[in-house]
Amino acid sequence: MNARTKPANTRTRLYAVFAVLGLASSALVVRAVDLQVVRKDFYQEQGDARYLRDIDIPVSRGTIFDRNGEPLAVSTPVESIWANPMELLEHADRIGELARAAGLDEESLKERLVERSDKEFYYIKRHLNPDDAQAILGLGIPGVSSQREFRRYYPSGEVIAHVLGFTNIDDAGQEGLELAFDSWLAGEKGIKRVIRDRLGHEVENVELVREARPGKDLTISIDRRIQYLAYRELKAALAEHHASSGSMVILDVPTGEILAMVNQPSFNPNARGNVDPAYRRNRAATDVVEPGSTMKAFTISAALESGKWKPHTPIDTSPGTYTLYGHTISDVHNKGMIDVTGVITYSSNVGAAKIAATLGRDEMYDVFHRFGFGEVTGCGFPGESPGNLPIAKNWGPVEQATIAYGYGLSVTPLQLAQGYAALANDGRLRPPTFVKGGQAKDRAVIDPQIATTLRGMLETVVHPPGGGIKAAITNYRVAGKTGTSRTAIGGGYQKKYISLFAGMVPATAPRLVGVVVIHDPQGAYYGALVSAPVFSKVMDGALRLLDVPPDDVQNWYTASPDSGHTVRMARQAPDGAQVEPDYAEGVPE
Amino acid sequence: MLLFDFSNDDQQATRFGDVKGRYDLGLVVAAMLLASLGLVMVASSSIAIADGQHVGAFYYLYRHVAFLAIGLVASLVMARIELSWLERNALPLLLCGAVLLLLVFVPFIGVRVNGARRWIRLGFVGFQSVEAVKILLVVYMASYLVRHRDNLQGKLLGVIKPLGIAAIFAGLLLVQPDFGSATLLMAVTLGMVWLGGARLRNLALLGALALPVLAGAALSQDYRVKRLTSFLDPWADPFKDGFQLTQALIAIGRGEWTGVGLGASVQKLFYLPEAHTDFILAVLAEELGFAGIVLVLVLFAWLVGRGFAIGLRAVEQNRHFAGYCAFGVSLMLALQALVSIGVNLGVLPTKGLTLPLVSSGGSSVMMTCAAIGLLARVSYEVSRAENAMLQVISERQALEVRP
Repeated sequence: MNARTKPANTRTRLYAVFAVLGLASSALVVRAVDLQVVRKDFYQEQGDARYLRDIDIPVSRGTIFDRNGEPLAVSTPVESIWANPMELLEHADRIGELARAAGLDEESLKERLVERSDKEFYYIKRHLNPDDAQAILGLGIPGVSSQREFRRYYPSGEVIAHVLGFTNIDDAGQEGLELAFDSWLAGEKGIKRVIRDRLGHEVENVELVREARPGKDLTISIDRRIQYLAYRELKAALAEHHASSGSMVILDVPTGEILAMVNQPSFNPNARGNVDPAYRRNRAATDVVEPGSTMKAFTISAALESGKWKPHTPIDTSPGTYTLYGHTISDVHNKGMIDVTGVITYSSNVGAAKIAATLGRDEMYDVFHRFGFGEVTGCGFPGESPGNLPIAKNWGPVEQATIAYGYGLSVTPLQLAQGYAALANDGRLRPPTFVKGGQAKDRAVIDPQIATTLRGMLETVVHPPGGGIKAAITNYRVAGKTGTSRTAIGGGYQKKYISLFAGMVPATAPRLVGVVVIHDPQGAYYGALVSAPVFSKVMDGALRLLDVPPDDVQNWYTASPDSGHTVRMARQAPDGAQVEPDYAEGVPE
Repeated sequence: MLLFDFSNDDQQATRFGDVKGRYDLGLVVAAMLLASLGLVMVASSSIAIADGQHVGAFYYLYRHVAFLAIGLVASLVMARIELSWLERNALPLLLCGAVLLLLVFVPFIGVRVNGARRWIRLGFVGFQSVEAVKILLVVYMASYLVRHRDNLQGKLLGVIKPLGIAAIFAGLLLVQPDFGSATLLMAVTLGMVWLGGARLRNLALLGALALPVLAGAALSQDYRVKRLTSFLDPWADPFKDGFQLTQALIAIGRGEWTGVGLGASVQKLFYLPEAHTDFILAVLAEELGFAGIVLVLVLFAWLVGRGFAIGLRAVEQNRHFAGYCAFGVSLMLALQALVSIGVNLGVLPTKGLTLPLVSSGGSSVMMTCAAIGLLARVSYEVSRAENAMLQVISERQALEVRP
């Protein structure tokens, strides 16, 4: 072997090595160009799919205010703790710590995490106040994060629970006005596109996809003070009469705004828990009752409109019963010869039936329908019932007679209030609204003269010998009508009563209409005894709260300050004065 | 003729006492540039990972710096060890390497990570035996090739023997299992044997025989088969077998020509496993783009090119041991870099090899530094020999010109 040739040989062999290495490097360069330039779109799409995320920007729900700006529903920021199960399970030893901090059972938490081990999101605990959330986050457990959310809080609690409804845990309206005005209140979540690392942390904002539009505030027509007053009085009346449920609606006559709408039983919307769904119904708008004698106001309206009857047209109600095709209609007392006004004053079923017999059924149906019965009011309350007004061609003589005094049809308390508000508003019906300033267009439903006449007739109810003297209010003239009906069940009637009162104040220029409905009072069940006093107390307070000028001031001036009580007693029936029942046993079958 | 034969220049250097050499500047600069690039990339790629492990954002950076410091010391030590001493002690050193490789299988000393026994427990850090074995085998192989040069350049058996020795170590590595390092050791040995003068015919024959064995080893384990197939089509199952590679490819694809910018990688944010070690090139490619990949290739080409040049000079000075050492180390660096980059780019199956000097990884960093120290030593001795020669010449010239 020649020593001299070897170096040259090595050099050649080295060039071969260089060639191989160079070739390999070139291949890598080609590959790099392929990946980074030629096919980059594919890889970038794959990357984007992995970490570009559209994230919601939470917005707070609008506040609901009462007509005077008092907050009724407010959203408060809370924190919800969530975990990435994949990541948390890698640190399973810390689950116990987390469970203790969140007040959860360790075993069940672990179980639920394992079930979701292929997911990246799981709520550990929602709606914690920020301090508690911070305490959990402070433990520094991997995979545990928090998310800003909003919780709805209702300062007025059960008093206005039915009207407002509530939201679910995701802040979406579920019932009531929260549902009806959900899109207005909720606003629109914003969306931002972010880059997230694999553990879910946002590392970069890429772009704003949609701007957040916070929820708008809503000022509703309810007056919290009147609402509270109505709630208190209704609740007291229910307790006093051991009644099962009840509703009260107060309308502002000129605008149709609902100033108060209360129901019993109620619930605390801040802690709903497993409250009986029956407690959550806004009975004033969703439940129907047979209106009983309160309906006579509309029957008489139809009678006056027909021209066949005048307020003083006499009508013989003796002997206090009236038999029609085998059905006996009876009054509580035989009032003998009375006039049309007397039919209202004494709440004569016989009188109403006899008047109805002279009217065409289409004529009568038309008046009832114009007053809004059989149709939803248009207030927009979710689940509002249209009531039931049978169509005229299904009316036989007996049906027509019973409908005349409020049986065989059903209405919601809100509809009844709407109807009375039309009488109060000179025959112009304005659909009720829950929104302050949201008054709907009104429409003429009856001649203004008839409306005025009716108001006069209804005033007689509140004075002796009328049946509704307990509805009287000091210094104000009241027009209204009592009613009592039996609870209809499966086509028949049971021995359960509904006590109603519908009225308006001040009678000379009505500002407020109120309807009280109380179900199943024990003992005295007449509307005159159960519902009329609630009407009186609430409306008395409401008139003063609204600064409505009195229209019955003659006693105000004559009475000395310390004799006001006496005056009131003089105007109203003294305790123990006989109240005429407006309900006759065994009438409708 | 004797004038150019420096095979026993030790005596001459002794004779001339204070003859000094120079360390190759290009080699040192290339290595330092690569290490600096590595430092930056380790910092960038490990912050999120360290933060996620709650060990402090700079945990891996500090570790890397510490290992670089140890590596610097190791390289300085290597640069001062006389190659003749290494040559004399090549066999005992290799046996030490063998012991290290066996220690990983000893309970309480060997550490099992991700199903592989590759580490030896050294207090708070683990040491990967193979990193030391790589250098020791290169040194031994260089000495072997010097001693058996005639056999090597002749018979087939002369080629089989050195490859057989390497195969024993490769076998030990396969038991760990560390298929990547085993392949690397065999490839480096093969390259050294080739540069040592083995006949192409013999190597080709051997290759033809070895191929089925390698294929058998590759296919004998399910996970290797899986790695092989998943690398061919990582998108078949991008969330399981193909997960790591698809994430690496996404990172690289995001880089385009010039990258998303230093520090701006998204894939390093827990998407890409081993972003600061085996897959650091993918992060580099994402942040610095195609330019970054080319930069890495150029720096390695420079480093390895210096290494081969030094080796060639040594061989041309008939200092074969030094030359083969330089060849072996250069081959090792070149092949490991190419394989690592290839794995990142998805053209080779996932191997678990680091990118030398760049990746975080204690044993690799330290031993790569030591290997570069060895290269530097070769460059030093080559230059020292040249200086000695110049001294002889100038002395003779001085004698000749004397009147």
